[in-house]
Amino acid sequence: MATNSNLPRRIIKETQRLLSEPAPGISASPSEENMRYFNVMILGPAQSPYEGGVFKLELFLPEEYPMAPPKVRFLTKIYHPNIDKLGRICLDILKDKWSPALQIRTVLLSIQALLSAPNPDDPLSENIAKHWKSNEVEAVETAKEWTRVYATGA
Amino acid sequence: MDSEDEMSMHDANDAESLDDDFYSGDGADSDEADITMDYEFIDNDSDDSDDFPSHHRSQLNYTVLGEADILQRQEEYITQVSMVLSISRIAASILLRHYNWCVSRVNDEWFADEEKVRRVVGLLEYPVPLPDAKEVTCGICFEMYPCDMMRSAACGHPFCVTCWQGYMSSSINDGPGCLMLRCPDPSCCAAVGQDMINALALREDKDKYKRYFLRSFIEDNRKTKWCPAPGCEFAVDFIVGSGSYDVNCRCSYSFCWNCTEEAHRPVDCGTVAKWILKNSAESENMNWILANSKPCPKCKRPIEKNQGCMHITCTPPCKYEFCWLCLGAWSDHGERTGGFYACNRYEAAKQEGVYDEAEKRREMAKNSLERYTHYYERWATNQSSRQKALADLSQMQAVHLEKLSDIQSQPESQLKFIIEAWLQIVECRRVLKWTYAYGFYLPEHEQAKRQFFEYLQGEAESGLERLHQCAEKELQGYLNAEGPSKDFNEFRTKLAGLTSVTRNYFENLVRALENGLSDVDSHGACSRAASSKSLGGGSSKARGTRGKAAASKSSSSRMDDSGHWSSSLLWKNLVSDRPAGAVMKLADTVKTMLDVGLPVGHILGQMRTEGRWKDATR
Repeated sequence: MATNSNLPRRIIKETQRLLSEPAPGISASPSEENMRYFNVMILGPAQSPYEGGVFKLELFLPEEYPMAPPKVRFLTKIYHPNIDKLGRICLDILKDKWSPALQIRTVLLSIQALLSAPNPDDPLSENIAKHWKSNEVEAVETAKEWTRVYATGA
Repeated sequence: MDSEDEMSMHDANDAESLDDDFYSGDGADSDEADITMDYEFIDNDSDDSDDFPSHHRSQLNYTVLGEADILQRQEEYITQVSMVLSISRIAASILLRHYNWCVSRVNDEWFADEEKVRRVVGLLEYPVPLPDAKEVTCGICFEMYPCDMMRSAACGHPFCVTCWQGYMSSSINDGPGCLMLRCPDPSCCAAVGQDMINALALREDKDKYKRYFLRSFIEDNRKTKWCPAPGCEFAVDFIVGSGSYDVNCRCSYSFCWNCTEEAHRPVDCGTVAKWILKNSAESENMNWILANSKPCPKCKRPIEKNQGCMHITCTPPCKYEFCWLCLGAWSDHGERTGGFYACNRYEAAKQEGVYDEAEKRREMAKNSLERYTHYYERWATNQSSRQKALADLSQMQAVHLEKLSDIQSQPESQLKFIIEAWLQIVECRRVLKWTYAYGFYLPEHEQAKRQFFEYLQGEAESGLERLHQCAEKELQGYLNAEGPSKDFNEFRTKLAGLTSVTRNYFENLVRALENGLSDVDSHGACSRAASSKSLGGGSSKARGTRGKAAASKSSSSRMDDSGHWSSSLLWKNLVSDRPAGAVMKLADTVKTMLDVGLPVGHILGQMRTEGRWKDATR
């Protein structure tokens, strides 16, 4: 495809590295039609309510990448205070803290870390954050339940 | 419609409280005041070229700055800081920008804790050289390059020239935040200065950066603002806390330095903001903005929230972090307040009945629509009348004055009184216009104040009508004449007299409104005779101080005029010698006539000018 033929060297290198030495618990592979579009899977981190789940995400590198951040979104439903029902993620490095020296790998590692450490003080999904702060035990249970229902076996 | 009053109230309050915070931030800029003094010659220049009737002409509390002046000042500040702190000019400019171009603040912070300042601003004391290798990998494009193709900030993180260029370009095109550019390495905060921009960025990006750098000097400095007139490139440096906010830019636009709306003395900024919002509330744009955005609680720029969380960070240079729901500072949210989502201010506000209040206000707004229309029409008419007068004034200066000088065989220098009359008309239309906004917000239950205000406004208005008519219609006769008119000198006396009388009426009105009509208060309000007396008393006192200025001014500016009366004498004959009862009778007549729908301004003007005024001038 035309879009793929003039792919910047950086994207090609990043893709090669992602495929040859994937980060633990993370896989990202480019779509065949569009090398800027990645299918991503993140394993729920151990000792988190998402443990045992496999979460699908989509990641897209806009034309301006790496000067502009990639666009990332959860496709699997997830109960998390920083992720809304459309799968959008509240993460500073995806917005104003983006730096061109960051990479797909660092972004995905940050998202994985966000699963281990939800931050209800800077929430995207109001109701979930409220739940998290008023009754964390119960919220964690819901997150586990959602993980079981939506993120396993599929 | 409903939220607009709340919104404006809230804005006005906030603006004040924020300003307070802002100004109380640092008090030590006496040294900057000195710098301002050095530029006084600019005042004089502008004063000569724009001969506007300014109320505070003798003591200008502001300086108009052109681009060259701004650059020169910027250079001086940078030189000063770089010399005092023994740092490079680039480092000095980074520091100055960070501390909003306040030299004393830079000095204070630096000498209090240099290490901390260096860390915050990103100035490394010991630059790190590029890695000592033949080839290095660029941290952005991942290509290997020989060392001489690589550049780094003082931190030594190497990136290739092309990637630097792209990095700078995307930052510069994102807005003025590029002035705070840091090394692209996410773990590093080393500042990237203008020297690197100049060495590496594309030409058009360099130009944009330069522009932002210049703008920053005006926009981040709390003592300076751009003139808001479209296309005007001047800025105004204002001595904060020095009285009237009205400033005349060198482009001839006059505006309020505090709120940057058109000059609106004697009406205060809050009233003006409310009024302007009210007027534009009907427009599509404003509706959209009100419905879809909230103003940043700090810098007031409207923010549209199109996605993301409640934690909003305003765009640089403001960068204020706040909660979208309650507009409170984000730092107040979290565990201590029971979490953002509780936003207990909302609950508290509801309990206090703030929302019921809003409901009531909404109801009242509906009822006052007719009242509003009354004031709006008069406001708008004076606005268009002023526009027309401005056009007439320039026509007069460009064409008619020369023609008149030919016909009447008068040197143009002898015709200055006509220009002065027109300038006075323009200024009075502006004041009069704003008094209608004032009148709209004057509480209805304050009967005595309302009456006093309407009396003063009526006096001023009819005086202005008379003056405007004389300058417009009667002058036409002399313009159309075949040759010199015998009575031209009389016309001169009349027009100059009307100009002066009208100026006095308006000064009286402005003063009374600026005092919040306090003359009424101090006399226990309700008695009519008392309130009219206080008019006489109050104005004669003020006249005492102002009379001197007026007299000396008129003697200098009217050396060549035949009139030798002083304006304060005229005024005395007009108002203060009239028994107090008579003044109020006049007001009563006006009121009756208004009730029956008769035009008053004209008749009132007639009575005044043809009765007492003639006596005074002959």
